Amino acid sequence: MILAHLLLRRRVALLAAGVLDGRERDEMRAHVDSCSRCRREYDELRAVVGALEADPLRSAEPEIPVSVLIDRVEQRLDRVATSRPKRAHGWRVALPAAAAAVLAFVLLGTELLPRRGPEPVAPTPVPAAALPSEVLDRLERNLAREQAARYLSEAQDVLLAVSATEADCLREEDRLDVGEAPDRSRQLLARRALLVEGRPEAVASAQAVLDDVELALREVADLPSCVRRRDVERLRQDIDRRQLHMRIRLMTRELEG
Amino acid sequence: MEPSQGGGASDRDLMARLAAGDREALAPLMERHYPRLYRIALSYLRNPDDALDTVQETFVKAFQNANRWDGSVEAGPWLSRVAINQSIDRWRRIRRRQATFTPLAPGDHEAALADGALDPDARVHGRELRDRLATALGRLPERQRAVVILRHYQEMTLEEIADALGMKLGTVKSSLHRALGRLRTGLQRGLES
Ligand SMILES: [Zn+2]
Repeated sequence: MILAHLLLRRRVALLAAGVLDGRERDEMRAHVDSCSRCRREYDELRAVVGALEADPLRSAEPEIPVSVLIDRVEQRLDRVATSRPKRAHGWRVALPAAAAAVLAFVLLGTELLPRRGPEPVAPTPVPAAALPSEVLDRLERNLAREQAARYLSEAQDVLLAVSATEADCLREEDRLDVGEAPDRSRQLLARRALLVEGRPEAVASAQAVLDDVELALREVADLPSCVRRRDVERLRQDIDRRQLHMRIRLMTRELEG
Repeated sequence: MEPSQGGGASDRDLMARLAAGDREALAPLMERHYPRLYRIALSYLRNPDDALDTVQETFVKAFQNANRWDGSVEAGPWLSRVAINQSIDRWRRIRRRQATFTPLAPGDHEAALADGALDPDARVHGRELRDRLATALGRLPERQRAVVILRHYQEMTLEEIADALGMKLGTVKSSLHRALGRLRTGLQRGLES
């Protein structure tokens, strides 16, 4: 009898949940009506279902109008659409064509950087005599430093935006809206790897700042767009402790020469 | 943008356009399904901000994965599936984040069925009920909670739930049974404390 009731228990629950039908439902109803133990089980579970069905959230209306949501989704899709191809090719694509040609020339025509893997199928190389190698070297160095400076100042914008945010999330107390900062951090981090890939020695003096900025960006990248105030506060303190804003300003100036 | 564009088209037409990469089809689908998907996310996550972010991600994912829609299900259930799975994902992330601040009490997730009865006449309303349900639902394993939400907040059939969560029908039945038992215990605790 006890075993039989253990087996019955699931069907009593399913009856209470309203998911039995046909003969199965009729049989269970009949049993519940005639068995006090199952009756009690059924009544208790019905009370649970009743509580769920009385939950005010069942009829909650969204707090922001659909037009705002449509805009947000469109923006997200735009960002995904524009960030994807960039990520695949890295910042070199964004270099001015002339500078890229110089870079290609440096890579193919001189021994400044070690060659890796099989010999690439080279476009007709510019004669090595066209530009003195020290000029090319300087050009390339400057490009790397400019890229790093731009990266740092964009990172600073993101970190400032997070630290300074006071925008509450949809009237929810103690939560702040950090908007697109997490997305922008992820995009910046994707560029970070390529900075050192290019000419690490050209930005060697910036290494410590780059590392600290990377840590901070990783924190931001992990945030949801709506963050607890204390999490933002913790991040802000961390940035202050590392004197990150001042160091970024000094380093950006140094890199830009 | 013209949100009303496609207003007369059927869900099926709109999904087909979305599957073909037509972004214009997204706005009318959002207008129709936003409140319902919001309620799925809200009842699962119990927080309006998280719910809104989740609905936003649901529509982003819907657009990105629309080419996988093969027409065998209607747009509504298909979107519900995306929404509940996004809700579960978000819940995992929230929990990872919260774990560093408020560790869960040991045994919370292993609550045994209590013998005491939940008074069916206990009248609790509004905020109190909502809070008590939030606590009890929060103690359920994530997929049991999803089953409860889809069944009792969305009135989905067991077959639809199985499809949405990629579970076997038998697993959905036993999940629902266990979840209701745990909720009874959770709500009783709420009444006693
Ligand atoms: Zn019985």
